[in-house]
Amino acid sequence: MNDETDYLAEGRQVFAEESRELLQQAEYILLKLEDEPDNDELINDLFRTIHTIKGSAGLFSFDDVVAFTHVAESVMDQLRDKEIFLDDDLMCLLLDSHDQISQLVAHALDNTEEPIGDSLREKGEEVLKNLHQYLDVKTPHSSVVMIAESELKVLTESEVALELTESVINDYWHISIRFNRNVLANGMDPLSFFRYLDTVGNITHMTTLTTDLPSLDDINPEESYLGFEISLDSPASKETIAEVFEFLMEDCLLQILAPRSKLSDYAQLIYALPEENRAIGETLVASSALTEDELLKVLECQNADINKHTIVTDENITLDKITNILMDDAIIDKNITGASTPDTALDKQKQVKEVEQQSVRVNAEKLGDLINLVGELVISSAHTELKAKQTEQAELLETVENLTRLVEEIRDATLSLRMVQIGDTFNRFKRVVRDVSKEMGKKIDLKIVGGDTELDKTVVEKISDPLMHLIRNSLDHGIEKPDIRTANGKSETAIVKLEAYHDSGSIVIEITDDGAGLNPEILTAKAIENGIISANQQLTLPEIHRLIFAPGFSTAKEITNISGRGVGMDVVNKNIDALRGQISVNSELGVGTSFTIRLPLTLAIIDGFQVQVGKSSYVIPLDLVEECIALDEQQAKKGEYINLRGEVMPYIHLSEIFNDEDSLNSTPDKKGRRYNIVVVVYAGQKAGLVVDELLGEHQTVIKPLGKVFQNLKGISGATILGSGEVAMIIDVPGLIRRLV
Amino acid sequence: MAKTIMIVDDSASIRKVVRLTLESQGFDVIDATDGVEALKKLNGVKIHLLITDVNMPNMDGITLVQEAKKIPAYKFTPMMMLTTEAGDEKKMQGRASGAKAWLVKPFQPPILLNAVSKLILP
Repeated sequence: MNDETDYLAEGRQVFAEESRELLQQAEYILLKLEDEPDNDELINDLFRTIHTIKGSAGLFSFDDVVAFTHVAESVMDQLRDKEIFLDDDLMCLLLDSHDQISQLVAHALDNTEEPIGDSLREKGEEVLKNLHQYLDVKTPHSSVVMIAESELKVLTESEVALELTESVINDYWHISIRFNRNVLANGMDPLSFFRYLDTVGNITHMTTLTTDLPSLDDINPEESYLGFEISLDSPASKETIAEVFEFLMEDCLLQILAPRSKLSDYAQLIYALPEENRAIGETLVASSALTEDELLKVLECQNADINKHTIVTDENITLDKITNILMDDAIIDKNITGASTPDTALDKQKQVKEVEQQSVRVNAEKLGDLINLVGELVISSAHTELKAKQTEQAELLETVENLTRLVEEIRDATLSLRMVQIGDTFNRFKRVVRDVSKEMGKKIDLKIVGGDTELDKTVVEKISDPLMHLIRNSLDHGIEKPDIRTANGKSETAIVKLEAYHDSGSIVIEITDDGAGLNPEILTAKAIENGIISANQQLTLPEIHRLIFAPGFSTAKEITNISGRGVGMDVVNKNIDALRGQISVNSELGVGTSFTIRLPLTLAIIDGFQVQVGKSSYVIPLDLVEECIALDEQQAKKGEYINLRGEVMPYIHLSEIFNDEDSLNSTPDKKGRRYNIVVVVYAGQKAGLVVDELLGEHQTVIKPLGKVFQNLKGISGATILGSGEVAMIIDVPGLIRRLV
Repeated sequence: MAKTIMIVDDSASIRKVVRLTLESQGFDVIDATDGVEALKKLNGVKIHLLITDVNMPNMDGITLVQEAKKIPAYKFTPMMMLTTEAGDEKKMQGRASGAKAWLVKPFQPPILLNAVSKLILP
């Protein structure tokens, strides 16, 4: 039994993952159905996802989940059968049901013995009540077992009022079984059933009846011709014994008589069996089910009830006929499906798609370990390269070069393992947009672009909450009510666009709405009121817009339950900062607002560009490096800007920023000294970083800074160089912000 | 030689539990997520029992059984439906397609093993 709980525990883990995916899928389908309520395929898919959740939950005895899901499933079944149709109310109800299932599943997976909480239960009851209104109460779905039993009774119950009320003196069960000809073709091997019967009791006697067996020439080896009379010594109930043959129900004629049955029951049996009465009677005597005397008594009553006998056989014939008709139907069905080639072609397409998406689930922890190891590998490969260069052996250098290239490829391949499409995260917002627009009486269309853009799973997980904040803000503050929109000459339906794309080593996520836009006057007034800026401070428009990220800033006149209480935006800013990302806002009054989030693609390993300032090495993320130029001394003295091919570009001495005395001391008036400028670009903004020396590309494994250094400006992390030295990674976005 | 059982179900957790249960009894297990994949995997492999879910994407269990029965190698292979479909109509359809054995979910591992041992010898 221990093994069994183990399987269930392992299965549970799979279920956790599976149910999450299925529920997400169900929600996605529901939202899609809102646009195309007549799409049968979607309804089918919906039914199936819910059905699978129910089936799997049942396996783990998550009864709350099963009970609730069953009702939801039944409603979906009606929807599938077109007995009810999808309207707004039903859609809301199904979405509520979805949420309820999610919560019930979450509760079940929590592994607590506690019953579900009151609020969850009450909510569930309310949803159930509404679901039941859609259900036809008269067709419950639970009649299988009963039908199986009644089938049994047709053959075994005695309707004949015989006077043979005395019991036989036989302590064993008696089982008569005649297999249908096609039992083998149905995949049933009679032998295995007898083997199983033997586990229920002890077969004391068995007679094989060969009366049906045709002559050798006429035998079809694929058919069964045999019948059996079995005596079974067993303490089991009649039900248990009948269950042994459950799967054979339609493929055999089965009679089971209890030990010490009445003579009348045996009489009934003898009539019911297809063989000639006397012959079967003798078989029974031979197998010591009956004594000679008992048989005689039974046969005496034969004439009295001959009519009943014929009725029973008639029933058998009709049953056979029905089966045959059904078989014919099945054949016709096959022909129909075989003929419709478009379907087959579609199936093939689906099949190809299936193959493409085949995937292996890997524990996230293992993946993390692998990435860490690859990080170490990169560092030690850099070390090897350095040492090899020192030896100046051409052959060794060549091999090491090869090795380095392979390590790079391994690095890229490993990191791509953790890349996921952002589309799933985006799709989740469809629901939010839908709910909010319903609640606030706004008409909003969510457009998603670039859902297949990939980024690191750890980043995806952390970006979801900030995105939610931004979207809710847009919906709540940004989008106007339909009447105001039409009054302002805008279309009634507002558009919120979520877009993701790659841009020089970053992923960019844009949230754009065509709402009211940010009002600079209100923003300034509010900021002055909250003491964020002083009254006489002159700010540029972008600076005013950035005020919304200031801690404790809120312009909402009343607090709604959709967007927060003004703690939202600065938290968003912090979260994105923590991901080494950046957020900017762009808005035009009356036209709309757009937030742009830039995030690094991955948080683990990057290509870096190594430079030297004084005695220290620094690493600049290579994706952000545009070019390297020499700075002539004349220009350097002019101050903070240089002319880069006609463009004005600010620059900064890294030695000044990091206060590197070695570099600073060597600077003044030393003749022939050359400066190098590394031109970096971030979010379209160029800047120059003046360094002492350029050292070239370097694979950089990012090691986060400890908590103490987290607020250090200009540094985003550290890395270990091939020589074992530590180099700081320059926080380019941070520096550019300082310059511009 | 160990007997081979194929389990077809779109639910990963059910496949997992069925697989572990059957393997503990010394069966070899092949699994598939739907009818299409099952038919692809069936090509030529000897299996002693097919256990399939009814409701699956791409190809449902009833069609799978019908298609499998058309392949001579699987004509006599026992097939069992593992399903929550308790409706009589579906059952009739299933029986007509050739799956005579039904196991109604939620099943527990011992119930599955019982049903399996009715159909094939371990």
